[in-house]
Amino acid sequence: MQAFDEGANAMSAEESWQSIHATMDHARSSLYVAGSAAIMLLWGVVTSVGYLSMYAVYTLADGFAESYPWFPGPLWGFLGMAGGAGSGIIGHRASERLAAGAAARKAGMRVFFYWTTFTVGGGLILFAGGLFDVDQWEPPVRAAIGLVGLAYILFGVLTRPVFVATGAGFAASFYIPHFLLDEAAMAVSGVLNLATFVLTYAWIRRTGEW
Amino acid sequence: MTDEAATAGAMSDATEPSPAGGEAIVLDETIHQPTRLRIMTLLVSVPEPDRLAYGFIQQTLELTGGNLTIHLRKLEAAGLLVITKEFEGAKPRTWIQATTTGRQAFTTYLSNLERTLGVHLHAPARDDRQASKP
Repeated sequence: MQAFDEGANAMSAEESWQSIHATMDHARSSLYVAGSAAIMLLWGVVTSVGYLSMYAVYTLADGFAESYPWFPGPLWGFLGMAGGAGSGIIGHRASERLAAGAAARKAGMRVFFYWTTFTVGGGLILFAGGLFDVDQWEPPVRAAIGLVGLAYILFGVLTRPVFVATGAGFAASFYIPHFLLDEAAMAVSGVLNLATFVLTYAWIRRTGEW
Repeated sequence: MTDEAATAGAMSDATEPSPAGGEAIVLDETIHQPTRLRIMTLLVSVPEPDRLAYGFIQQTLELTGGNLTIHLRKLEAAGLLVITKEFEGAKPRTWIQATTTGRQAFTTYLSNLERTLGVHLHAPARDDRQASKP
């Protein structure tokens, strides 16, 4: 935090020019990431619930999984819609709390369309690539995890670096356990994924970066 | 403060070095201060009549509450922004909005800054031409 120092007024024209551009960039991205700490935590819980639910079904109710091999589709569809609705509400409230007017609305709409594009576009890419198969849920999930991780990383490149780390952590928490472990992979992914998002939440809250 | 008074206040300015024998370029001293410049930039980065929450400005610019309040009061006294306190339920909320005068003053400041930078960028070339004369 910058403390008050009326004496620190010396500023060249070049410094003024740079300050104006830096502030404008920061202002724009600040509106885009409004409420992101709470949204991060929400998606951490949503994805971890998904992983742990799949683990529970495959280990505790394998008969159900055999009877309904397509169950991950509705499960993730429901979780995704719940997460999307929750994110919309949190983001709307946060932008209303931080700024009032057209700029906040436009920023909210842009963030909404960014994530919608990745979700819908990602689904279409997987479909076009022939990855949707009721008997083979892993290939589309692996690809989807990569797309979501990429979405976080790109969002971080455009706004705050913390999202780059979150995207990398999100992808790693799925891929590494699935590469190293067999049955327990989904449970470990659920725990690591939740830890990734909780750490992101804590970092955002501590530093004041929304 | 009226718009006229604010404009008059904006005339107590910092004069930037002018090109050899050229017109002096004046920068609004109320705005030409690191923190106040960032506050005004933030406020004019949203379209009129949008307003920003006090907390948003404080967090975005990473300022202490005391520092921000002091600079906001100076800008408000110059008529460049208005501070509105509202209650949403039991929660008090402070909103900051650039006035039309503030937006005009910032535009003028920006224009003068561009002229100043243009002068600085082109001045060496003029000097070179003069130095090369026989």
